Amino acid sequence: MTTLRPFTCDDLFKFNNINLDPLTETYGIPFYLQYLAHWPEYFIVAEAPGGELMGYIMGKAEGSVAREEWHGHVTALSVAPEFRRLGLAAKLMEMLEEISERKGGFFVDLFVRVSNQVAVNMYKRLGYSVYRTVIEYYSASNGEPDEDAYDMRKALSRDTEKKSIVPLPHPVRPEDIE
Amino acid sequence: MALYKIVPKNPYYFWSVMSLVMQAISAQDEKLAQTMFLPLAERMVEKMVKEEKIEAEAEVQLYFMILERLGKCVEALEVIRGPLGEKLTSELQSRENKCMMLYQRLQQWPECNALAHKLLLKNPDDWQFYPSYFDSLFHLIDQSWIQPEEGDHCPEGEVHHTVAEVVRFVEERIKGEDGKESHSLRGPYLARLELMHRLRKRGCAEERLLGDPFELMVQFFGKFGDKPCCITDLKIYLHLLPAEQHVQFINRLSKAVPLREQGEEGFSFPEDTKALQRHLCLCQLSRALGLNHSLDVDGKLRLITELKAHYRYGLKFGKNAVKTELQFSDMYCLMAAHVYIDLWTETGDENMVWQCLGLLQEGLSHSASNAQFKLLLLLLYCRLGAFEPVVDLYSSLDAKHVQHDTIGFLLTRYAESLGQFAAASQSCNFSLRFFHSNQKDTSEYIIQAYKYGAFEKIPEFIALRNRLNQSLHFAQVRTERMLLDLFLEADIVLSLEESVRAMPLSAEDDDIPWDNMRDNRDLTVFTSWDPKERELTDEHRLRSLEEESVWLRLRSLTLRLLTFLAGLGHTPSQQNSKMSNENGVGDKTSVLGSLLSQLNQTLQTAAQLAEKHIQYPFLGPPATRLAPALSSGSCQCQAAALQLSVHLQELETVGLDESSELQTQICNSFKSLVVQLQEILNKCKGDLLEMKESKLKTQPSLLENLIFFVETVCIVLWMASYCAKILRPLKTGLQKKKKKKKDSQTALPVVVCGFQELTGSLQDLLTQALEHIKGQETGMTALKLASLTLEGPTQEEVSFMQAAMDKVQSSYLRSLQEVGDLLKKRAETIKSLKI
Repeated sequence: MTTLRPFTCDDLFKFNNINLDPLTETYGIPFYLQYLAHWPEYFIVAEAPGGELMGYIMGKAEGSVAREEWHGHVTALSVAPEFRRLGLAAKLMEMLEEISERKGGFFVDLFVRVSNQVAVNMYKRLGYSVYRTVIEYYSASNGEPDEDAYDMRKALSRDTEKKSIVPLPHPVRPEDIE
Repeated sequence: MALYKIVPKNPYYFWSVMSLVMQAISAQDEKLAQTMFLPLAERMVEKMVKEEKIEAEAEVQLYFMILERLGKCVEALEVIRGPLGEKLTSELQSRENKCMMLYQRLQQWPECNALAHKLLLKNPDDWQFYPSYFDSLFHLIDQSWIQPEEGDHCPEGEVHHTVAEVVRFVEERIKGEDGKESHSLRGPYLARLELMHRLRKRGCAEERLLGDPFELMVQFFGKFGDKPCCITDLKIYLHLLPAEQHVQFINRLSKAVPLREQGEEGFSFPEDTKALQRHLCLCQLSRALGLNHSLDVDGKLRLITELKAHYRYGLKFGKNAVKTELQFSDMYCLMAAHVYIDLWTETGDENMVWQCLGLLQEGLSHSASNAQFKLLLLLLYCRLGAFEPVVDLYSSLDAKHVQHDTIGFLLTRYAESLGQFAAASQSCNFSLRFFHSNQKDTSEYIIQAYKYGAFEKIPEFIALRNRLNQSLHFAQVRTERMLLDLFLEADIVLSLEESVRAMPLSAEDDDIPWDNMRDNRDLTVFTSWDPKERELTDEHRLRSLEEESVWLRLRSLTLRLLTFLAGLGHTPSQQNSKMSNENGVGDKTSVLGSLLSQLNQTLQTAAQLAEKHIQYPFLGPPATRLAPALSSGSCQCQAAALQLSVHLQELETVGLDESSELQTQICNSFKSLVVQLQEILNKCKGDLLEMKESKLKTQPSLLENLIFFVETVCIVLWMASYCAKILRPLKTGLQKKKKKKKDSQTALPVVVCGFQELTGSLQDLLTQALEHIKGQETGMTALKLASLTLEGPTQEEVSFMQAAMDKVQSSYLRSLQEVGDLLKKRAETIKSLKI
């Protein structure tokens, strides 16, 4: 039982159960406000009957239409441990995909740590495939080495020939990303 | 608008509309907003509507926002339901959500009801519409609403206005879920329980139509018991079960929990992770029903053994878990820790907390990312007076930015009060950096919101900025940081005057938003399955905020008085212009008088609060330092020291002749201060850590009192320094006079003798304190913790407990060292008090 509603500034004070997870990053206030200002429709939170936050998704739309690169992008997706295995992540992704479809996006993409097998498998089950590997995308905070990311994609209906998800033969560096 | 006239593009026009709305929002006079700004904005938009020039979704949203603020709900509804509403496409269900909100404001219950169940038909798991659905039903019943015969149909569709209809709707949703093979939605089942709860609250007999809550919850557990959220879902409705049925309920549920694997000690274990989760939920439900708490000591100990066994058995399911994943059985470990805490608070048996710490450290060794283990360890170490292990624990949580406001209090409440000054400075700095950067940043996002037409967000961003600026934690850390700087450095590194001058503070200014204080602390960050009667209530939150505010007021007034005192140290020509020099002494006295009277008033309020002995849940807000500060006598001593400045000022004006009464009064104050300081020091005596009856006992209050002693002695020393500054010229002047009169034998003025006695006594007190610290350090280092006979079934358990004890011992030694270092430096400063 889930209320799916737009994320509000007040939710920033209630998301510790989600953000204290090691793979969830807490960004600076400006980062969240930028998303709320520019792409509020993509910033959705799930709330439980008791009022606790269960999880949220943050996304945006970018890229050139002419080059058929206009797409939806998942910036962050996280579900609190106590609310996992309810299909919530899938539901939030579904909403982001629907919004991207309405905007005429060609595909949806996201970055995920190569070591995060749980997430990689989940996205594969949702129809995503690895488009390319980005070397040292994630900078480590504590003296550990930087980590590679998979750039995973799912084609939307506008990409009739599914050109956008044909994998690249070679990895890229963060500087090479548009 | 000028831009628009040049280039007639909509965005420019709407920016000026938005500016009007912003003026309305920030207008001090609500009437002005309602009668001028908003209507003007409305007319501007209507002009565009008439000319059919509305293009963008943002423009429609702005129109909606204006109408809503004007309270013109009917017009707003027309806009949303009409062709303009079709532009609201980017956010899912935006139109429906706005309509629902307006129906509720307009109290159009038939429409509200019809829309709610229409949306629920589409998505039976969307919780937010069940309350609207039920609320509207009850309003309709209360209004004795009758379905109109024909025509006049509700624009949203069919209306359910009887309990029976609503029950049928909910049951049908459930049938829909029952039929599914997999991935049933919890929504309808919980809705049924929610409806039952509401009907019961209304005293409605038709509650019976839904069935027996016992059976319904058994059914829910049957379907969803293997999901981690089952406990959070059911917990809300456990009150529907009468107390007599609690045990029966658990017994019944255990039939749905397959435990087939035989293990040691006669326990049976789950075969797979789903069964494990069911069993875990069962344990959580038991606790939530109060069954843990009703066990006697032996019962609780047996429960702990069982929970630990399940925890360790369950580790096998997570053998291949990555460092960033949690173990399946982690929550058993946490629950066992909770029962240990129950026992510790009930019996005071220290073994309970050591075993608890050991268990949590063990849990962390298998599940390095478990934030709940870290949080609970943090809390326990702090309660034992050990801050050192907390630094690494907190830092491994990787809490950043807004989390400094929501959980930073866990650090800053304890760092300084437990004598870890370096860590205290650091933790204040983390928070302060965040708050200061927020003060700079938010304007940019308001500009961005204009640019992207996210007009609805602008008031929200402003509210966020205010919420952070008015944060209780912000006010606390900036006050405590300044006090800490003074305690550590004033008259050691820099003089008190120089230290104060470096601060952005003046005695007259009080920048703390007392009337608009926002308590942003996340007081439910600790996972808990406690029964309702033991949970955090709104009353607790209010009392905690009240207590924190009073303590903050005391600290803030103390700081401002110290600032004032620092200003007094100068001769008039050197004084800061903040102290209105032109008006001279009179003005100074009134500021001082006002601050002192506020301090005394606050002390009285504080004493009254402390009498109430408010108890918070263990996992709730920490108690402030208020009660121990009062009972140690440190508040009263500090106030007396600061009060002395009034008399010292008088002495400065009057001089040493003809002031014997005043001098005697001052001397008596000196003596009293020494007595009070001695009493505070006495309350530090005792062993922080000792072995008693082969148990390791801690007395953290002794450490807290020692810090109170340090703070108080600093303030008395600053007062003495001010006194010395006054007495020196007076004494010199007197000696010159004596020389002239050729008096060979004259007694020293009373106050000078008194002062010399004071400095002597302060020296003694500091020596005493340092000796006490040395004694503690020696004694503690000599404690052979390894020789404790620790109870634990396994060697591993014993070694984890040992590790926890070592950490506490090390932390105490560190605190003693930092306090000792500071007191030594303070003792050095007594030399400069020679007159």
